[in-house]
Amino acid sequence: MKKFIKTIRENIVTPWGMWLSFLGVILLSALVAGIIIFWKGLVVTNLTDLVPWGLWITIDLSSIAVSAGAFSLCAGVYLFGLKRYAPIARTATFIGLIGYTMAMLALVLDIGRPDRFYKAMLYWNVHSLMWEVTMCVMLYLTVLILESMPIFASLEWLRNKFPLVAKKMETVHHYAPVLAIIGLGLSSLHQSSLGAMYGVIKARPYLYKPEMAVLFMFSAIVGGIALTLFASMLSGRLTPKAKVSDILVERVAQFLGYLMIGYLYFRFWDWMATRYMHEPGRTEAYHLLTVGPLSFNFWFGELLLGTLIPTIILLYKPARLSPFWRMLGLGLIVGGVVAFRYDINIVGQLAVMSYLPGEAVVSYTTYTPSLVEWASGLGIIAYGLLAFSLGVKYLRVVDHRLTSEEHEVVTVESKETVHA
Amino acid sequence: MTENNFNRRDFLKLSAIGIAVAAGTRAITQVEASEGGSVKGEHQWAMVIDQAKCTGCGYCTLACQAHNDVNPDIQWNKVLEAGEINGKKVYLSRPCMQCEHAPCVEVCPVQASYYRDDGIVMMDYDRCIGCRYCEVACPFQARSFNWEAFDGENPAVPEWGTPEVERRPRGVPEKCAFCYQRIDRGMANGLTPGIDADATPACVVACPTGARMFGDLNDPNSNVSQILRKHVSYRLRENLGTGSRVYYLPVDDTTVTTEG
Repeated sequence: MKKFIKTIRENIVTPWGMWLSFLGVILLSALVAGIIIFWKGLVVTNLTDLVPWGLWITIDLSSIAVSAGAFSLCAGVYLFGLKRYAPIARTATFIGLIGYTMAMLALVLDIGRPDRFYKAMLYWNVHSLMWEVTMCVMLYLTVLILESMPIFASLEWLRNKFPLVAKKMETVHHYAPVLAIIGLGLSSLHQSSLGAMYGVIKARPYLYKPEMAVLFMFSAIVGGIALTLFASMLSGRLTPKAKVSDILVERVAQFLGYLMIGYLYFRFWDWMATRYMHEPGRTEAYHLLTVGPLSFNFWFGELLLGTLIPTIILLYKPARLSPFWRMLGLGLIVGGVVAFRYDINIVGQLAVMSYLPGEAVVSYTTYTPSLVEWASGLGIIAYGLLAFSLGVKYLRVVDHRLTSEEHEVVTVESKETVHA
Repeated sequence: MTENNFNRRDFLKLSAIGIAVAAGTRAITQVEASEGGSVKGEHQWAMVIDQAKCTGCGYCTLACQAHNDVNPDIQWNKVLEAGEINGKKVYLSRPCMQCEHAPCVEVCPVQASYYRDDGIVMMDYDRCIGCRYCEVACPFQARSFNWEAFDGENPAVPEWGTPEVERRPRGVPEKCAFCYQRIDRGMANGLTPGIDADATPACVVACPTGARMFGDLNDPNSNVSQILRKHVSYRLRENLGTGSRVYYLPVDDTTVTTEG
């Protein structure tokens, strides 16, 4: 018994053990929620025929958005020749892989017939934005798996047990520029199309606008880069396994600050354009955002905290140089993108257009996620956190000492233990 | 090996393989034309609903529930109050509009929503993946999702008719399809939809005041073609340009007073 307690104390009551237990509890409750969902059906959610897309879609959209660091940073490193940022692209690629698998999990919960998922590959509706997104996401997930091969090759167990396999996986690294091109194409397509998916919906006046594609694309790029940097810095503070080069992070953060100005511009333009449209349905939805139940989320979550303040932090040098303020700024950007996705998805659905003749009656509906939705949704997030933590611990996902040259060294010394 | 070893030839090879795979998959499936709207076949079915005659009794909905075996929580055909004229309530009965440029068909990622050549917007319930994009995209709220399986008794059966189609499974949205099963079976037996009850949508047959008419727009002598020529009519949310096949005859002062 004493020995048992001792084992527990040594293995569980450590920060790492506690973290894993915490995630384990969430994952367990998500498992229970998942079983309930597949057993009872989507009736256990608070989704309705007026709001058929809710929390899970927000998680799906957000995890794809904040995975965009993978394609944008890989493009920067392998296409624009910014080789010294390769270690950051490595982190971004891994986050991308996690993000897209999170999105897949959310979709499996969300769609009514996940057993028919493959039908999109058999029956092409080339006019459907969602078909395009589905195909691109599936292809891009394949690209991400290939791009992550060298990362998985640094798993010590694999290198000891199957050195040849590990070596083979390392060589995928040589195709990085091609994968970066394909990834850039596929990502530009589906990140924009996720916005366009909403942008073509005539039935929901607030969403029916062409700039949706641009906004989704731009917000995904800033959100993706921000999450990559934030996760790197956080890991650097929490574990000696992560090696962070503050200079690298700071440089990318400055670049991100400039990108944020572009993003701010588009948001401002979209906001003002909507402000003066005065179209039935659109104005009402706009009011839900600006003065209604979503107003706090909109003004603070999306604009002030999510866009304006982090832009200032990242461009004001003293703030950017301070790790605390920089991390805060990066975290706020990620939060802002998630808030944007949540608001966009929900606001178009909450303002319901009437189809009765001669009346521009707009009614409002409500949506609050059910407990089961929260439990399973948090489980998806917990899965993402777990996967990233394991990556940092075992796959050297955050290791800014790695440059492309050092990759070669690693291949040669494949049997040597890497001391992080 | 360095990155330079990946040369142009390799890149071309890889690209060629990619294109070949894409083209191969493409050849397996056939993309039906949905960009230009529905394909115009021999018949173009349409419905005309006379609001002056509609009393809001809801028989249309009940007949629909029975003949299409619809879950009582779902209504394919909804009867709504649409204001008052001269102190008399006006109703609006709303089936699926069977749009010519149907948003639901355009957005469906797996072509589970599709056009028949007679204009009916169909659902392939065995192909649908349940993403509910069609539901978000429909301007008429004509689609309802099966949040749970309908395995109870149908309260509308047998009083209002007997089911003619299979129940839809859990996890797919469903909607009105102009009772295509009645049209097809009726025509196979030499009947004319809109004239013979057995070839006409159940809601039209059930209407006690004759407020609903059904027929072929391609036939200038059909019931609906003649009425649409004579009367002022309108369609719901015409500004969206979806080209719906359900026409409404509006109520005006004269019709209200004559109808008593």
